[in-house]
Amino acid sequence: MSLKAYILALAPELIVLFGACLVLLLGRRDLRRQPPAAPLAAFVTLSVALGVAFLTGVPEEPRLVPGLWLGGLTFYIRLIGLAVGAVLVLVNWHQAVEDERGEYLSMILFSLLGVLLTASADDLLVLLFALELVSVPTYVLIALSRSSHRAGEAAVKYFFLGALATALLAYGLSFLYGVMGTTALHRVTDAGVVSTLGGGSALETYALIGLLLVFAGVAFKMAAVPFHVYAPDVYEGAAAPVTGLLGFAPKAAGFVALLRLFDACAWDLPQHLFWLLWIVAAATMTVGNVVALLQTNVKRMLAYSSIAHTGYILIALLVGPATGEGPLRDGVAAVLFYLPVYGLMNLGAFALIGAFRIDEREPETLDELAGLARRAPAESLTLGVFVFSLMGFPPTAGMLAKVFVFGSAFSAGSAHPHRLALIVLAVIGVANAAIAAAYYLRIVTAVYMKNEGCRCLPAQGGPIRLGLLACALPLLLVFVWPGALTHEARRASAHVHPPTLRLAAPALTDPPPTPVAITARTVATSTAGQP
Amino acid sequence: MNEHTLDILRTCSLVILLAPLAGAVLAGALGRPLLRGATHWIVILGVAGAVAGAFVVLFTLHGTETGPTTAALALYQWIATGAGTWFAVEVLIDPLTAIMLVTVTGISLLVVIYSRDYMREHHHPQRGYERFFAFLGLFVFSMCALVLSGNFLLLYLGWEAVGLCSYLLIGFYYQRPAAAAAAKKAFLVNRVGDFGFGLGVLLIYLTFGTLQYGSVFDMVAAGVTGAGDPLPTARVTAIALLLLCGACGKSAQLPLHVWLPDAMEGPSPVSALIHAATMVTAGVYMVARCGAIFTASPLAMTIVAVLGAATALFAATIALTQTDLKRILAYSTISQLGYMFLGLGVFAADTAIFHLYTHAFFKALLFLAAGSVMHALGGIIDVRQFGGLRRLLPWTFILFVVGAAALAGVPLLSGFFSKDEIIHHAFEQHWLLGLLGLVTAVLTAFYSGRMVFLAFFGPPRVPEGVHPHESGHWMLLPMGVLAAGAVAAGYVGVHAFDQPFHRFLHPVFASTFAAHAHGQFAVAHGGLWAQYGLLIVSGALALLGIAAAWFAYVAQPWLPATLKAVFVGAHQTLWHKYYVDELYGAVIVRPLRRIGRFCVDTDDSVVDGLLWLITAVPRGLAFTFRALHGGVLQSYAVTMVVGLTIMVLLVLAL
Repeated sequence: MSLKAYILALAPELIVLFGACLVLLLGRRDLRRQPPAAPLAAFVTLSVALGVAFLTGVPEEPRLVPGLWLGGLTFYIRLIGLAVGAVLVLVNWHQAVEDERGEYLSMILFSLLGVLLTASADDLLVLLFALELVSVPTYVLIALSRSSHRAGEAAVKYFFLGALATALLAYGLSFLYGVMGTTALHRVTDAGVVSTLGGGSALETYALIGLLLVFAGVAFKMAAVPFHVYAPDVYEGAAAPVTGLLGFAPKAAGFVALLRLFDACAWDLPQHLFWLLWIVAAATMTVGNVVALLQTNVKRMLAYSSIAHTGYILIALLVGPATGEGPLRDGVAAVLFYLPVYGLMNLGAFALIGAFRIDEREPETLDELAGLARRAPAESLTLGVFVFSLMGFPPTAGMLAKVFVFGSAFSAGSAHPHRLALIVLAVIGVANAAIAAAYYLRIVTAVYMKNEGCRCLPAQGGPIRLGLLACALPLLLVFVWPGALTHEARRASAHVHPPTLRLAAPALTDPPPTPVAITARTVATSTAGQP
Repeated sequence: MNEHTLDILRTCSLVILLAPLAGAVLAGALGRPLLRGATHWIVILGVAGAVAGAFVVLFTLHGTETGPTTAALALYQWIATGAGTWFAVEVLIDPLTAIMLVTVTGISLLVVIYSRDYMREHHHPQRGYERFFAFLGLFVFSMCALVLSGNFLLLYLGWEAVGLCSYLLIGFYYQRPAAAAAAKKAFLVNRVGDFGFGLGVLLIYLTFGTLQYGSVFDMVAAGVTGAGDPLPTARVTAIALLLLCGACGKSAQLPLHVWLPDAMEGPSPVSALIHAATMVTAGVYMVARCGAIFTASPLAMTIVAVLGAATALFAATIALTQTDLKRILAYSTISQLGYMFLGLGVFAADTAIFHLYTHAFFKALLFLAAGSVMHALGGIIDVRQFGGLRRLLPWTFILFVVGAAALAGVPLLSGFFSKDEIIHHAFEQHWLLGLLGLVTAVLTAFYSGRMVFLAFFGPPRVPEGVHPHESGHWMLLPMGVLAAGAVAAGYVGVHAFDQPFHRFLHPVFASTFAAHAHGQFAVAHGGLWAQYGLLIVSGALALLGIAAAWFAYVAQPWLPATLKAVFVGAHQTLWHKYYVDELYGAVIVRPLRRIGRFCVDTDDSVVDGLLWLITAVPRGLAFTFRALHGGVLQSYAVTMVVGLTIMVLLVLAL
């Protein structure tokens, strides 16, 4: 594997990396400049990286570069990560105080870089570092996002609990390594976990504990019950534009990591783990929605809504890869479709809050937003789009995302071992979506139906308004013309679960495998792949 | 049709859809901050684009000498429903589509141009000029989508979208309680119809497994369901009647006609465009389009015919006594739509579409002229308050008379040909239907004459403080074009000119309506008397009706009051529109209100109490967990670890 090949394979990621460093440097000089160079550089970086990602395209078949796995999923996550990232930069354009703008925006880029790398990781260690690369910058971002002491408090809380979650994650990965004897995911896929778990050997318990700990670590990032407790405090404490990022980057990275890991189990989860995840999914939806009903602070309400959406996506994750034609039957494609749609509608809702000021701070409660439609009709209209999309109402992409998730569970087919359980889970999901309408509509009611004068003043800057538009328009367009996104999602899904890689593996009947035992295929990559 | 033609049609359908939509979006987005008084231009441009597209479609189809004139084009796939089935965004273009498109976009363009002056100078200081044009553009888009759609899903979407536009435009003067109430009424009454329509679409999907026109109609013709089983007639009848339910709502047929007269609270251009010429004919279009389904069920066809004839007569009698010029026209519209349904019911779909087409011209003209009167009189439209406007508004007078004459069926004007043809076909089917048609024709002529004589003849009489003035060119020119249409548009369907209109439409209905018709398709048969006798009779009856109106309102003005006094019961019944609104109020609205109030009370007391009890558990839990959620970092960590421990135990112990 030559250096050139590496560079070519990782071109978008490298561009983001260098861009992040550049933004960091430019930030020092921003004080005297108009227009600010740092946000512009960040935006250009992401646009260029998006263009390069688009040009390099998708490999016909998933490709292994030592430590990395390049396939449709990589391509898809690059596209959505960079596109949503560009909108994030727009929304955060004026957020940080001027002499911290460089640090602030470069942290956004680093976090996005982590999301991209998660999708390409083929090594447990790379996966761990990628997930940390997503999270660590967010601690800094929360602290920098506003001068309120609540931001500092949120950052500290998030940091300590995040450290705990990372410890769980690393511990779980070490169990997996102990069982498999390798850190390369594709080789875990080929032989390790599958046969270990299926064989009922002594190692089964360790593998199970490993998977469980990894799930716990990732569940923290996705804010799934019972690792969701931090979310309301942190979402409320951080400035709204950063909260928009928290709803996208860690969640997307977490789900991508789980996709790769479940694939390592060949989507044949052990009974216990399946039922545990089933309970987690049901509990996550229900807790998120029920507690959200009681909130009057919009940011806390959206935080609980974010927890609930994690529950919806978990349904599709449990369904697993395609059992038929089209995204309606493909759980993985449904997960992948949901991620960018949720990222945009959530970001948009928070961006709207960030676009206004009351007494030099963001409006937070429903009362403070009451009557906004009279003061800012255009912005309120975009809020309507976001809220209806979060509710899953046509004509927005949120409706299609929910249709795909629930549809994948309903049509899982008789071949699926847990068909009935999935249908019950989807019914719980539909009921939850109905409950959720109650609190989402309170936002719309406050903005449109209340007549008292809103004291909100527009915040600084046009970019955040452009960001609102960039969130709302795709949500409408994807509803009208979902073909491009579903096509990419399905292709990515097909690559996550590639039959060719698995067929090429030697059938190992006798665990425990050692690194020596697995040398059969692709000698070139495996030798170079040892860290 | 070759590839090249298909490409043209594809491009045209995109232009027809997107140009008005773009106009509407731009008007909505840029109207208030940027374009302001010039907003109408962007919508005029958009609709003009649609008109151009529609004419290209018409001439392309008309120029197709050989082969089929039907093109089903999938623009793109929307979402997959599993097993490789997609909901496609597709269009169906055939002569029926082409004629509907030309009619809809053409009238729309004229009305948009008319609105420029009407909305600017009319009696509304309130804002909303931009909003009006944005809604109008959105309506044109929705209507074109409805007409172009190639499957029932898009038809349903278009159907609901025009309903939404109608609601928005009836309630345009939302500050007026009457307008807001009328908008609500229109929306709710249409919901009743649309509920049936939606069920019909679902039943189609359940029966045939697809919503695409072509596949569904083929299966109906072959008498099989989607699974290949034989198709029971009862199922077809159920589908047809459910669809008809939607048509009754949208096209204001009995018993769902009550919303249309109230809809006249909207601005006059809206009444002309949506509630006379285009949207209300959607039901007629839909039944014609689904001819395969309707003609497969004799019962459904009989119901369509009887319903149409009954509505035509019913509405015409109400129109005799009303005094609000626009409401008279509204009842006249219901009556004329009844004629169209009668035409469909007697297997003369081409004639029904022909009447739809001629009616669009003269009824739009009448509404615009009524709007011109309103414009001149500062918003007053009740004929008891004015009269003798002939000299004050000479141009409006002439235009109104042309429209009214076409409506009355004065020989050689467009309305005469199409209405006569429907009556002719009705007689072929059943003498009673034909007779109903003839009686309605006399009544139509009478109330048309009554409108003209009351409003424009006699001594000049205007309300206090009003100085009537003739409308400007922006309003008169579109009316002039419509008047030309009202006079001459009918000649494309005249026997003497070989009926190019009907020959163009023939392929669409050849295997459905035409195949079932008793008489020879579209061509009168028998001797000279059968061919022209009815023509002469109905022409004479029309003139008789007008003469009677002249006698009663000009020559002997005391007569109406005397008649009113003598037939007081009949007059009261008609004046109160057969008490239908009162009946619905007593039977449906008020009981529903009571149930609603009961539900609210129950909700407040019982359900809320129950909910309080149910949520007591989570709230109690919340109190317990408040220590954990209370913002203390350590307790969060404890929650996580406890949760993890439980998870590990669950997995390992079970």
